[in-house]
Amino acid sequence: MSLEILSCRNLKKQFVENQVLRGIDLQINKGESLAIIGASGSGKSTLLRCLNFLEIPSSGEVSLRGELIGSRQNGQVLYQERDLIPIRAKIGMVFQHFNLFPHMTVLQNVMEGPRTVLKLPKSEYESRAISYLEKVGIPEKRNAYPSELSGGQQQRVAIARALAMEPEIMLFDEATSALDPELVGEVLDVILKLMQEGLTCVLVTHELGFAYSAAQRVLFMHNGVVLEEGSAYDVLVEPQQPRTIEFLRGHSRFQLPSPKNSQ
Amino acid sequence: MEHVWDFQTVFASWSLLSQGLFNTLKLGLLTLITGLFFGFFVGLGRYSRSSWVNFPAGVFVEVFRNTPALVQIMWFYFAFPIISPFDIDTFAAAALGLGLNTTAFCAEIFRGGIQSIHRGQWEAGKALGMTYREQVLRIILPQAVVRMIPAFMNRVVELMKMTSLASVIAFGELMHQAKTISTYHFNPIESYTVAALLFFLVISPFAFLVYHLENRFRK
Repeated sequence: MSLEILSCRNLKKQFVENQVLRGIDLQINKGESLAIIGASGSGKSTLLRCLNFLEIPSSGEVSLRGELIGSRQNGQVLYQERDLIPIRAKIGMVFQHFNLFPHMTVLQNVMEGPRTVLKLPKSEYESRAISYLEKVGIPEKRNAYPSELSGGQQQRVAIARALAMEPEIMLFDEATSALDPELVGEVLDVILKLMQEGLTCVLVTHELGFAYSAAQRVLFMHNGVVLEEGSAYDVLVEPQQPRTIEFLRGHSRFQLPSPKNSQ
Repeated sequence: MEHVWDFQTVFASWSLLSQGLFNTLKLGLLTLITGLFFGFFVGLGRYSRSSWVNFPAGVFVEVFRNTPALVQIMWFYFAFPIISPFDIDTFAAAALGLGLNTTAFCAEIFRGGIQSIHRGQWEAGKALGMTYREQVLRIILPQAVVRMIPAFMNRVVELMKMTSLASVIAFGELMHQAKTISTYHFNPIESYTVAALLFFLVISPFAFLVYHLENRFRK
């Protein structure tokens, strides 16, 4: 049985003259892991940001657990900030540039959501924060400030901060794009673990290898529409659309050879 | 002609001077506090998406930032009573002029400080499900205020100096008291020198604090 967590219908987003999303239909089911790939400017980040309303869609519908977000008026959906605030609390977001709160320690960063938004008692939000820091593997850094951490550690704290809200779904917006190559692995390991535990995840990524091995479903976006969609193998290994093929060729143009003495 | 220094007459008028010092501090501190308080809301108002809020806030700031404080004080003392039903004394006129001026400048400091915080900070708060108020109070202000401190200290220095403008409408602050003493005792050199020293004593700690803080933040 597939339980729908988040879906959108005919989602459009226009920035002044620029139509970034041209009608996206998408359904994300419980426990699913979905990777969105595409060239920059294809609209993949905007799509992600529309799903938790950091950008307000120009038109179209978004539903969380089958319930329409916003209020319908004359056939159009009206998005009002007060309706969106509780929705965002149920959707975890991890940013490309971490966006940790620099004036707070690691622990305070992770406690902030449960404390300010969920208004849990101190004993609860503190133990919750510590348990999520343990999950991302850096409980010993709890009293450090973000500026004292490596990029990979910062991103893991940002993941813990989002997890501490115990969201229904996690969105990762190019979570490893800002990291030095040697730090990418530790963040992907954490994301992979979450996916394997059955957390619903959507990730916008340039890490095609990770998308292939971790995501159940892959979406290729081009010019504001979903051009190709299917299993990781279908989209990444045997793509049908010429645009997808071209995009993937561009990504695999330079590759290291395997050592000569290995089979 | 040899000038015979005569500080005796100035110190003999100490009660006038201390009264002036008190009034200077009263005017300065009151306008600072009101300026900070209202400036915060005007500064946030300039961020509002509603043009019913951000437009008047913008007009307010530009009007009071781009007219001399001296004109504002004179206007509130001589012009305002003609068009308003109630009278206004010298302190109220000076406080209104300087208070609105300070509000406008503080609004700009708040706006600049808030603007200097990266958009990602707002988004991170928003993505956690914070209300606008929570984003401002928990995330933005704690970071922005630290960056604003040197600008606010500069404002204090400017404001304390501007209080002397209230002497033109005969509000009994330090400058006005010095003028009174000098015309009474014919000792302008001594009375204005003492007034300048007193201003320096009051204001310079803030200026030194600015240097100190700027050095600290540079690290």
